[in-house]
Amino acid sequence: MAAPFRSCDHCGKPAVVHNTVIVNGKVIEHHLCEEHAAAVTGQPVGPVPINALLGQLAQVGAARARGPTCPSCGLTFHDFKSTGLLGCARCYDTFAATLVPVLERAHGGATQHVGRVPPAGDAAIKHRNEQLERLARELGAAVAAERYEEAARLRDMIHALRPQAPDAPGTGSAGAAPPRGSVP
Amino acid sequence: MSMPGALRPTDDSDVVMSCRVRLARNVAGMPFVGRSTHPQRREALEAIRSACGTAEATGSLVAAAGATGPLAWVDMPSMPARDRQLLWERHLISRNFADGDSPRAVALTQDERFSMMVNEEDHLRVQVLRPGNALRAAFDAAMAVDAALAARLDFAFHPRLGYLTACPTNVGCGIRIGVMVHLRALRLTNELEKVKRAAKELHLAHRGFHGEGTDATGDWFQISNQRTLGIAESELLEVLAARVVPAIVNWEREARRALVERQRLLVEDRVHRGVALLQAARLLTLDEAMKQLSTVRLGVSTGLVGGPSLDTINRLTIEIQSAHLRAADPSIEGDDDERAARARIMRAAFGVA
Repeated sequence: MAAPFRSCDHCGKPAVVHNTVIVNGKVIEHHLCEEHAAAVTGQPVGPVPINALLGQLAQVGAARARGPTCPSCGLTFHDFKSTGLLGCARCYDTFAATLVPVLERAHGGATQHVGRVPPAGDAAIKHRNEQLERLARELGAAVAAERYEEAARLRDMIHALRPQAPDAPGTGSAGAAPPRGSVP
Repeated sequence: MSMPGALRPTDDSDVVMSCRVRLARNVAGMPFVGRSTHPQRREALEAIRSACGTAEATGSLVAAAGATGPLAWVDMPSMPARDRQLLWERHLISRNFADGDSPRAVALTQDERFSMMVNEEDHLRVQVLRPGNALRAAFDAAMAVDAALAARLDFAFHPRLGYLTACPTNVGCGIRIGVMVHLRALRLTNELEKVKRAAKELHLAHRGFHGEGTDATGDWFQISNQRTLGIAESELLEVLAARVVPAIVNWEREARRALVERQRLLVEDRVHRGVALLQAARLLTLDEAMKQLSTVRLGVSTGLVGGPSLDTINRLTIEIQSAHLRAADPSIEGDDDERAARARIMRAAFGVA
């Protein structure tokens, strides 16, 4: 059953630390590379103040000199470390590697949401329609300026966003958005 | 439990003053408040106010919350400092939200059962409040409010991480389910450790009268969930409503009973001194008033003394705070005036002119 090689849970590097913990009767396995292991060693699974968590991560941050910067809101790893706050939704992806151990410690080992999901309601449809309109405008501008690579990319994005029903009249009111999930 | 049936409260209000369910949500496609410029904060505020401020939206939100309308929108920067503090003293806004001059607003119903802070740490912080131990009712109302909001606003949501919040400790459900409990007897019998240990085991936070980082003035503690990821809202409710709150209520009642049975004279002495002090004092600091009121509350809840009802005592814990005193009596200027006004309110509540 033992695989000869495991990669780190948080990045692709080879795992050097293997840890099994039992939380509420559930077996959870951790496989960590050297760098990620440094961030989580000695942790008891349970709630810990955010600043304490981030303090531990400082070692990782120092080793890397500077961490990533969010391309969407410009938040740096240093900003995050000093305030404990993220700057935007994108930050959760930007800082994913360092966030995972933070989340695990703050939420009893969990990194997966199991609660409510927003319904694909009117607001979601409205939001998608606004995005479609914006992309269509950008597509028109890209074609006019003969930026064909960008135009192709925009066309793909529009295709991915558009409701699947081929007879949707384009107002979005008839073709409902694909459900994003259900409320348990 | 050997409390006579007639004395046993049906709603746990001898221990639980109130319960609250709070939600943190952010508007999709906008930077979180901390990374937003003032124009961006204004934009978020307008997006939320226009989605929630119509008569139809207001009606459905207030009905979902089980509150009574209308929903008043108050612009924070233009609000006088005293009124901001007043809202903080009533647990309707946070300390950070009360200070500062960035664009933000609070919406609240007159009965205070439903309120929303816009542009606190997250774009939207919703609060459903109920007096006594009515966690399930507060929870159901909060879920209904969430559904009503989701029909009007698109919230930042991640398929794996759930509702995205500025602080990663709130991500997932973005929910805090909490109770405000009075644990005078457990403090007197040095058994608070029991509560703290249980809270820790079940991933709960215990905080003081005014939340995070405040002390337990008047032996009031807030107990709420800490985890928000990897656990469903309904499970969090069950942990609190079915396990933790009943256990804490029983421990406190047990401690009160034990004190009255085994150390009656000592407790009577403390309680009567408390009453006498509150009836006699001409100047009262907030700290002293809260402390004595807490001991008197223990006496009233165990039937050792008459005096104001528990409801009145709960109300006094709010009304003797600084901004409340100043709002009720605009002639108050210095600290001495304030202490004198606090003492007057106490004497009136305890039936002394």
